[in-house]
Amino acid sequence: MTPAARRPFLPLTGKALLDTWRSTLIWALVLLSVLALYLPLYPSMAGPDMAKLLASLPEELIRALNYDQIATGAGYAQATFFGLLGFMLSSAVAIGTGAAAIGEDEDAGLLELTLAHGVTRTQVVLERSLALLLRMAFLMAVIYAGVLALNGPSELGLDAGTLFQAVAQFLLLVLLGGTAALLGGAAGGHRTHGTAAGALVAVGGYMLNALGNQGEDLQWMHAFSPYHWALGGQPVANGVDWSALWGLAGLNMLFVALAVFALRRRDVGGA
Amino acid sequence: MENVIEVQGLAKRFAHREALRGIDFEIPRGSVFGVIGPNGAGKTTAMRCLLDIIRPTAGKVRVLGADPRRAGPEIRRRIGYLPGELALERRITGRRMMDHFAAISGPVAPGRVEELASRLGLELDRQSRKLSKGNKQKLGLVQAFMHDPELLILDEPTSGLDPLMQREFLGMVEDARGRGQTLFLSSHLIGEIEQAADRVAILRDGLIVRTATVEELRAGARRRLRIVAATVPETLGAALEPLPGLQLLDTERLGEGAGALEARFSGEVGALLHALAGIEVLDLVLEEPDLEEAVLELYGSPPGNGRHRAGEPRP
Repeated sequence: MTPAARRPFLPLTGKALLDTWRSTLIWALVLLSVLALYLPLYPSMAGPDMAKLLASLPEELIRALNYDQIATGAGYAQATFFGLLGFMLSSAVAIGTGAAAIGEDEDAGLLELTLAHGVTRTQVVLERSLALLLRMAFLMAVIYAGVLALNGPSELGLDAGTLFQAVAQFLLLVLLGGTAALLGGAAGGHRTHGTAAGALVAVGGYMLNALGNQGEDLQWMHAFSPYHWALGGQPVANGVDWSALWGLAGLNMLFVALAVFALRRRDVGGA
Repeated sequence: MENVIEVQGLAKRFAHREALRGIDFEIPRGSVFGVIGPNGAGKTTAMRCLLDIIRPTAGKVRVLGADPRRAGPEIRRRIGYLPGELALERRITGRRMMDHFAAISGPVAPGRVEELASRLGLELDRQSRKLSKGNKQKLGLVQAFMHDPELLILDEPTSGLDPLMQREFLGMVEDARGRGQTLFLSSHLIGEIEQAADRVAILRDGLIVRTATVEELRAGARRRLRIVAATVPETLGAALEPLPGLQLLDTERLGEGAGALEARFSGEVGALLHALAGIEVLDLVLEEPDLEEAVLELYGSPPGNGRHRAGEPRP
């Protein structure tokens, strides 16, 4: 056997996942708690009380919060979890992970030593992007299992297959904040650059969607909102939207490719 | 002899300063090469260029026969590197850290990590954040040495080590040289590497001001000379004054017909003895050359350029 053959498969991905498993488990528990807090409220809200509540709210607020479909189980799950807290929390994990992958590593002075060893810069970016994907995929699997477990007791009436498609599409949406953060760190060399880029994509997408909801003359903003691509078609009720799915997947891959390009061509560690 | 490192006209300009302004050196296989310079002279920059961590603005660099920019990861598995500003992960034991580096840069011979750790008196099962600066430096040394690379590039390797460990490190350098490994070391004090290095480059303000063996530096270094003779100091002074490399400091009359002379001397000892031939010498003290002082002199600023003063060595 050659020495190369004895070398472990994807050593950087493995290390990144092992280094963060505790915090990954904590985030899984947080996400499950949010699900357990919101979804069981649906039966008590689905009745006339909900209609009364909605009628009392200003139209603009309902549209901004995506509450217009809230009277159905799928609409409720999307509006309360996927469209709001679930999106924010998952995006926070993805952005934190993405910003740590290159930018924070370089800030801490660790990237220099890693690159002095037997790895390429391309490999560092790709393996850590894969670790980001796997971490988020694990959290999405937990969310999927959590929603399914609460589906019956909370009388949501969700279809397991449709929900799977919706969660897959949601994964690509929150991942986008993470790959943007990874790109920011790879290009700028600092964690703050990554966090800023990730927040811009996630919060910017959310804002463009909320503004686009306000009227026909603002609807063009939807075209620039990844949030709208992923959630605008009510995926929890209707399943996957293939053009949104491929668009999000392509943009994620573009961000990772740009991160490879950016890191390969610059000095590491600064002056 | 084959050169493991060849550097020609290496220059590196950062946004606001020129770190290297065109340096040349080569390091033959199996030798130990030291670079000495005050902080900010460009030592770290030169080393980072060799590892493709930063990219030169100009010049040619060859490491182990290849351009580090294009050589790929295989070449770095044949190099052990200790960064000057060593940063280590905090929540990880030394053993796991070494396992990880072995996974990407190995193979590492079984027991090699433990052997190095016990030699340096390092505990591998403590979390790195609980280690002192010296012990972190030992972890850095272990990860550089553990895969017995052909080339070791060590930036300020003795920084943070106590004198006992500095001696142990010199032993590791000796052993590595004995195995045919090539070493490139840096320090801001020549005393820390003079016993280890075959050749030394003095780097100042992005330029190499001198490359020499330690012996050559020693030979050119000024020594303190004190002579007591059974003659008046004027005679003594007159006899020695014409000697090349002699700088008279002080003369003293010591009672009847005796005198003393103090000088700095960087010339040949033979010439000195020759000049003293007709004089009745009562006492002669010629001190060991002070290498540190010799290097400090090489750091000295050329006229009209005070720019590098900020980068002068720490005491």
